[in-house]
Amino acid sequence: MRVVIAEDAAIFRDGLTRLLIDRGHEVPAAVADGTALIAAVAEHRPDVAVVDVRMPPLFTDEGLRAAIELRTQFPDTGVLVFSQYIETRYATQLLAQNSAGVGYLLKDRVADTSEFIDALTRVAAGGTAFDPEVVSQLMAGSSRLDTRLTPRENQVLALMAEGRSNAAIAAQLVVGEGAIEKHVASIFSKLNLPASPDDNRRVLAVLRYLA
Amino acid sequence: MGEMTTTSAPSRRSVAPALVRAPFRRRTWAETGYVLLGLPLALLGFVFVVASLVLGVGLAVTFVGVPLLALGGLAARRIGALHRRVARGMLGEQVPAPRRFEPGPGLFGWLQAALRDGPSWRARGYLLLKLPLAVVAFYVVLVCWVEGLVCLVYPLWWQVSQPGPVAPGPFDDLGAVTFRASAAHHGPYLAHRRTLHVGDLVYLDTWPKALLTALCGAVLLLAAPWVVRGLVALDRRLIRALLGRSDDAARVRELEAARAQVVDDSATTLRRIERDLHDGAQAQLATLAMTLGQAKEKLEHRPNVPFDPAGALDLVDVAHRHAKEALVELRDIARGIHPPALDVGLDAALATLVARSAVPTTLHTNLPDRPAKAIETITYYSAAELLANIAKHSRARHAAVEVVARDGTLSLTVRDDGVGGAQPGIGSGLVGLTDRARSVDGHLQVSSPPGGPTVISLELPLRA
Repeated sequence: MRVVIAEDAAIFRDGLTRLLIDRGHEVPAAVADGTALIAAVAEHRPDVAVVDVRMPPLFTDEGLRAAIELRTQFPDTGVLVFSQYIETRYATQLLAQNSAGVGYLLKDRVADTSEFIDALTRVAAGGTAFDPEVVSQLMAGSSRLDTRLTPRENQVLALMAEGRSNAAIAAQLVVGEGAIEKHVASIFSKLNLPASPDDNRRVLAVLRYLA
Repeated sequence: MGEMTTTSAPSRRSVAPALVRAPFRRRTWAETGYVLLGLPLALLGFVFVVASLVLGVGLAVTFVGVPLLALGGLAARRIGALHRRVARGMLGEQVPAPRRFEPGPGLFGWLQAALRDGPSWRARGYLLLKLPLAVVAFYVVLVCWVEGLVCLVYPLWWQVSQPGPVAPGPFDDLGAVTFRASAAHHGPYLAHRRTLHVGDLVYLDTWPKALLTALCGAVLLLAAPWVVRGLVALDRRLIRALLGRSDDAARVRELEAARAQVVDDSATTLRRIERDLHDGAQAQLATLAMTLGQAKEKLEHRPNVPFDPAGALDLVDVAHRHAKEALVELRDIARGIHPPALDVGLDAALATLVARSAVPTTLHTNLPDRPAKAIETITYYSAAELLANIAKHSRARHAAVEVVARDGTLSLTVRDDGVGGAQPGIGSGLVGLTDRARSVDGHLQVSSPPGGPTVISLELPLRA
């Protein structure tokens, strides 16, 4: 996997680069601001970009804006936004167009290196990775619970929104994978998402859920 | 500080030329012009105020009276503003405008606010007082200049004026000295000559008398600028008192600005602390966690991560370093929020600060009374900022910090022998210091000529 990193704190940037290289990934560029990020992605065409939300010059949401621009300019490149804080608004902005190849994680998640690498790999492959905190905030923020769904189905949908696979959801809820498959199918039909070859129904369900 | 400042008083020698030059100075003519223009302006203002008051009060029983009074007040404000502008343009008199008229809700609220509007009534007062002042000033100024000039050239004029029939002259009746045909005095037998006379007895019809007259004229002309200045000064006082901002209002503004400054200041400080934490300690701790996580997985016999104790040890080493750096970072941030030494006292905190300064610095403190906590904090941070500035910009070899508390005032003086040229301009940290000082009614003085030395002194009340 080829990864471009945009992070202004040198110490964190170096640590992340070290980790990724240690795990056999390639880091063609590690930059410190949004403008350099877009240039680096244009040059190296990585599988995924890791982007810090706050970067120079204003230290507000330069990284997020660069990430959104990446999503339109280079739809093939996954974008994992990284932040010290979770802002619900950022998540919805990131998801505004589509939810393929996008992720939003707290920086703390790097402490569990394997989980972090998994999330990054998922985003690089066009999947999603949302911090449990993002999901819980989005749920708390409004009446996220879809009344058409049972509480269990809502729970499953929330875990789907984090970008987890059926197997992972089954493990989390301590049930069999078959039970989860049934819930997922039920969610798709209740949310009126018929099977089609082009659309990733999981992504669409998550979009409905987060939007 | 006191022994370092030298003030230059105007020397005695420069007084005499100043006296002679005064009639030709721009200021004199601007003030004369102001007085001349003042009369018509004053007349208009006076007539307006009297008319609007009389009409308003007279019609008070009808519907129009009260609104008329209110409108008259607001118009008086406008005329007052015109006077203020003229004074600024011609005299350079900078008078802050009174606060804006703030109408209450609805027509009734508007009327009530207009009738109670202090600046309107003060403007009316000015316009009423201005007329008598303007009349007197106009007359006196005209007399000074014209009479002075006439007297000055009198010998010449007296000499060349030819005998002939007497016709009324242009200045026949101006002031105490009046033109009259000398024929009246000398009888019809003598040749007619126009002369000046004082009263009916003293006729200025000899050379000594004519020269004396010229001398009087010169004195009058020399005195004219000062007479004008005095009259205009009176007007300036009236303008400041009646057309400016009332003291209370100005004080309220000042306090509001200071309060806004304090709020801004603390918001800025919080943002800075957050930024420091975000960029420093938080990033370090996140990296530390990442590195430890990475090391842990190398020791866990995971399927996807090879077992690598040596690699893990390296990572633990890196993590250990990050942890120590994070500690230093956190300590610096904590000290930035509140230096622990300040709890002991300002002198102790300053001693630590001075010891850490990059430029060798001596400290002298004399604090018999302990200042209020807020004052100590402001003093400490100001000293810290000034020392940081010295290290960054001054190229000084030595600096000195002095803190003295006397008569309810704390003064902090920071000197350096650097290149000077420090300016409390935009973007300089000195603006922040000035604002911070002002928030507790203190002030900052900067003396930093190019080439140095720089002396910056901060005066604060001991109790905020």
